[in-house]
Amino acid sequence: MTVKDHSSADDPTLVRVAQRGDMAAFEELVARHRDKIYARAYSMMRNEEEAVDLSQEAWVKGWQRLRQFQGESSFGTWITRIVINLCLDQLRKQKRQRTESIEAMSEESGGVERQMPVVTVNPTAGLERGELRQRIDRALGQLSYEHRTVLVLHEFEEMEYKEIARTMGCSIGTVMSRLFYARRKLAVLLADLKKQDSV
Amino acid sequence: MDYDAQLRLQAFLDGELAEAEASEVTDWLARDREAAALLEELRHTCEALRGIEAGIRLPESREFFWSKVEREIQRLEAPAPKPAPVPLFALLRRCLVPATAVALLIIAGVVLTRPTGPSGLTPAAEIETALADSGAFTYRDYSAGTTLVWLSYPADNEVAEDDETDIVE
Amino acid sequence: MRAKVIPGTGLVWFSMALVVLAGGEVCARAAEMKLQAFLLWGTDDSKPPEGRTYKPVEADIRQKLKDLPLKWANWFEVNRVAFAVPQGTVKVATMSEKCQVNVKNLGGSEVEVSLIGKGKEVVKRKQSLPKGEMLVLGGNAPNSTAWLVALKRIE
Repeated sequence: MTVKDHSSADDPTLVRVAQRGDMAAFEELVARHRDKIYARAYSMMRNEEEAVDLSQEAWVKGWQRLRQFQGESSFGTWITRIVINLCLDQLRKQKRQRTESIEAMSEESGGVERQMPVVTVNPTAGLERGELRQRIDRALGQLSYEHRTVLVLHEFEEMEYKEIARTMGCSIGTVMSRLFYARRKLAVLLADLKKQDSV
Repeated sequence: MDYDAQLRLQAFLDGELAEAEASEVTDWLARDREAAALLEELRHTCEALRGIEAGIRLPESREFFWSKVEREIQRLEAPAPKPAPVPLFALLRRCLVPATAVALLIIAGVVLTRPTGPSGLTPAAEIETALADSGAFTYRDYSAGTTLVWLSYPADNEVAEDDETDIVE
Repeated sequence: MRAKVIPGTGLVWFSMALVVLAGGEVCARAAEMKLQAFLLWGTDDSKPPEGRTYKPVEADIRQKLKDLPLKWANWFEVNRVAFAVPQGTVKVATMSEKCQVNVKNLGGSEVEVSLIGKGKEVVKRKQSLPKGEMLVLGGNAPNSTAWLVALKRIE
């Protein structure tokens, strides 16, 4: 049996072939974009296993909905949006099940970020990329899911405020507040981590 | 600096302001050091996040991950199983001649209790309830007679220990 | 008339005796399942961690695992429990301090297997497990390793 080699085809070609039922073409798309999809899921979920599961689910849904994809965006963007929505669903479900901590509730009601002193030292200065990644990882893990999500959608997915608002089902004002809080908190956390590590 | 002003700075950084308003903020930044410092902090944070996801890799091989995706797709696309044919036993029960009916019952008993080979499994014969983990994935190697049920657990799971040197004892 | 009935009745009794004998044989055959449960650790390292005396898995198990879509290069046996499960009963095999596997013999090669981790039922599976076949339950473990509970039917 000859296996068709799809590795040299571009994404639009692979999509067209896969839409006709060619699983090998879809497998090539999975191979190309799997890391990015997983990375997005991991950024949102902060849990490796959940991120793997949600990535897998996203690909299955991608296959099921492939015929509906008309090329209005790139395939990578389209499949990323699928995994983002799955992550948001999962996070909302977890939120309903989880008892909110007092800190998380006070984060939500806002206020503290307005009084935080400005972090004047660039916390990323002098860091190797790997070390910076680790610090960001730790710091992101300390944000609540709403703040982290808005940060991920803005900084990684490059969504505008109104698109984030639509995706998260909240107002633009809420998006702005959460994003501001998330950025300020991240700056403080990174500065703290830098201080801790240098002690 | 009030809160609305702080959010306006952020919107300026994110390119969300109309041209006229952005121009006003530029003028404001030139004369307000506190505002400029806050903008700088926000900018540092954005730069720190840039490219962070680039180093993240799916922690499963291409083949293994794809096999899970493919299997799930096939499972969802599989047609509903046909209703089971009327068992031979039920047909045989209709035979009323005592000696023949008894002999056939013996044969039916032997056939039904013989261990089934791989092809003897029907989807309905396997039922799995993953209580703690709804992401269980099943793989069947028919030639070797092996069934794998892979549970998606976080590293700190109920079976393995946190410390790899104490993994199972 | 009576002379014709007697041979027929004798045949029926003989047949019923055959049924009882055959049924007994069937029951005996289905009575008990002999199983081996293995607790295995998967890693890409060539040896177990320092201080641990895990043995590499036996060749036949290694071969079966090799044919599964598992990425780890090496498998080590942490513990092994052999046990028999009579029909209609449940046997508990304790694989480690935190891990147990409960096996119920449902008859006709059907088993119901529950994996208990840290006191909680983690997964339950019902399937056919003929002689020579193996059910493997597994998941990821810290530091990119894996754990498996492999249940092999010997008899």
